[in-house]
Amino acid sequence: MICKVDKIIQETPDICTYRLKFRDESLTEQFDWLPGQFIEFSLLGSGECTFCIASSATRKGTFDCSIKRAGIVTADIHRDIDEGDEVGIRGPYGNWFPLEDLKGKNLLFVGGGIGLAPLRSLIQYAIDNRNQYADCTILYGARTSADLCYKEEIEEWKTNKSLRVILTIDKPEDTWKEHVGVVPKILEEVVKPKVENTKVITCGPPIMIKYTLLALDRLGFAPKDVITTLEMKMQCGLGKCGRCNIGSTYVCKDGPVFTYEELKRLPDEF
Amino acid sequence: MKLTTYSTDQAGLQAFYEAIIRAHDTYGPVEKFGKFDFKKVNSLSECDPESPIPRTMSVKPLFFPKSAKVMKYTATSAGTELSDTAEDPLAGKRVILGVKHCDARGLQVLDAVYKWDYIDTDYEKRRENTILISPRCDQAATHCFCTSLDYDLETLDAVDVAVINGADRKIYLQARTEKGETFLKENATGLTSANGSAEAEMKKQYETFAASFRLKMNYQEINERMQGQFDSPTFEEVPSSCVSCNTCAFVCPTCHCFKISDEKIRDKGVRYKSYDSCNNVYFTLMAGGHNPRPVKYRRWRQRAMHKFVYYKERFGVNLCIGCGKCTTSCPVNISIFEVVTKVASSMQE
Repeated sequence: MICKVDKIIQETPDICTYRLKFRDESLTEQFDWLPGQFIEFSLLGSGECTFCIASSATRKGTFDCSIKRAGIVTADIHRDIDEGDEVGIRGPYGNWFPLEDLKGKNLLFVGGGIGLAPLRSLIQYAIDNRNQYADCTILYGARTSADLCYKEEIEEWKTNKSLRVILTIDKPEDTWKEHVGVVPKILEEVVKPKVENTKVITCGPPIMIKYTLLALDRLGFAPKDVITTLEMKMQCGLGKCGRCNIGSTYVCKDGPVFTYEELKRLPDEF
Repeated sequence: MKLTTYSTDQAGLQAFYEAIIRAHDTYGPVEKFGKFDFKKVNSLSECDPESPIPRTMSVKPLFFPKSAKVMKYTATSAGTELSDTAEDPLAGKRVILGVKHCDARGLQVLDAVYKWDYIDTDYEKRRENTILISPRCDQAATHCFCTSLDYDLETLDAVDVAVINGADRKIYLQARTEKGETFLKENATGLTSANGSAEAEMKKQYETFAASFRLKMNYQEINERMQGQFDSPTFEEVPSSCVSCNTCAFVCPTCHCFKISDEKIRDKGVRYKSYDSCNNVYFTLMAGGHNPRPVKYRRWRQRAMHKFVYYKERFGVNLCIGCGKCTTSCPVNISIFEVVTKVASSMQE
């Protein structure tokens, strides 16, 4: 399916959000997805990449992909795509956050860097269905204030009285008035979440995930209440090409959303 | 349903093959530079349905091509135009002669992954429209171990028609599927129904064949033991001589990993789906540099575990079919049989 790039938002020096809409407008209504699902994004001539959909289908018309310049295709995307250009997409693929299980629960989002992208889809979904969920807390961190994504939207979240938003950066900066320290540290020392009736949804760089899981364990969270979304090399998205296999699991079909309990059962190869 | 067995002799079999080639689109093992590859043939003299197994390539590319165009596109000032590629040349009705039993089993094993969830309709159509005629081997080759795995080679229903040597130069043609039964009925001119001694003769042939194997394993035990061997240090030792050439995957009848790549010249481009292999260091390398299998032994572990544990766990059939092609083709003589038996026997305490 061909999409037009409606808008490009420079989030950080190396992350851009591409707001897409279908060239054939009749597809807009048909294209539906749930938070956590991903698409295959093509820059024709350069190749295909897997990205999560960073917005919620409760806000239809367009959808967002936030793309970090990291490899060959993403470098081409950043360099070559302008507003109004056409790109190809396939999807949506994969599973989604367990929306039914989350109903009536406190939601604690823990994100780092570009890892906020998949969480943002669920955050928007939760905001748009606010009465279905209890307390919503968002802890978001990045290395520096310049590396925080969705800055304007976060300002909106901060003014939303039904959300608690905590921001942190790794090292102090002169103009920075929020928290300083890595995400797992702020989680334990500042957020101090209550365990009861709470589900944690986390995504971020592997090192943050590693220490966040340890911190959550110390706080008393059960692995089944911690949900994350995995990043794996994928290509077909259809459970065929074999690239995303972890043991007998296909991350593209059985995932990318897993509970920590499920991840513990997989071979340690991701 | 009792499937029919016909009886003939060498001349009758030749006539049967020739009649098939005249009447159908037929493929068979064609020799080139000492290797036999499955190609379209117009007369029996072009191919050898009895081609020796170590020198015969898999029939897999006729179902899953080595590299195929999936899409073409042109960038114009008005936008991007997509076009499907030309009609699938492998989709028509066809007969393949000389497919080895193990190779046919390979296709049966592949059906599981192609038919779960998303159905690969190209593959499905190619499978449906193909009749596999398969001579049963009389003698195992050096690296064969097909009789040791989780399928019964003697009654294998992955082939539509089995061709089996009987006593006194008799040859039996046995339908193994309903598709094969119908095909034999329609093409049985010159063949006679097999008589009472056929069953016993075919059994004898199988017993002699089964006794000719150098390699034997207890599959059940290997599979069970391998399940707990993910962290076995033996994986770090065994494939150290591997040169990561991926040949094992390219010749394997059941390896099915592929990559999707774009090739663009000026404003025209093509997207290809081509063979890939988990032995390739780039296979799981992510943008940004993270690679879950950065070292060779981990990639080899994936290969061995996928063949003997993961696929069985997921789809109920073992992925390795024991044809020995990977071992025959390996430039450094790594044998998957040796790897898995060694790993399974190095049970950690």
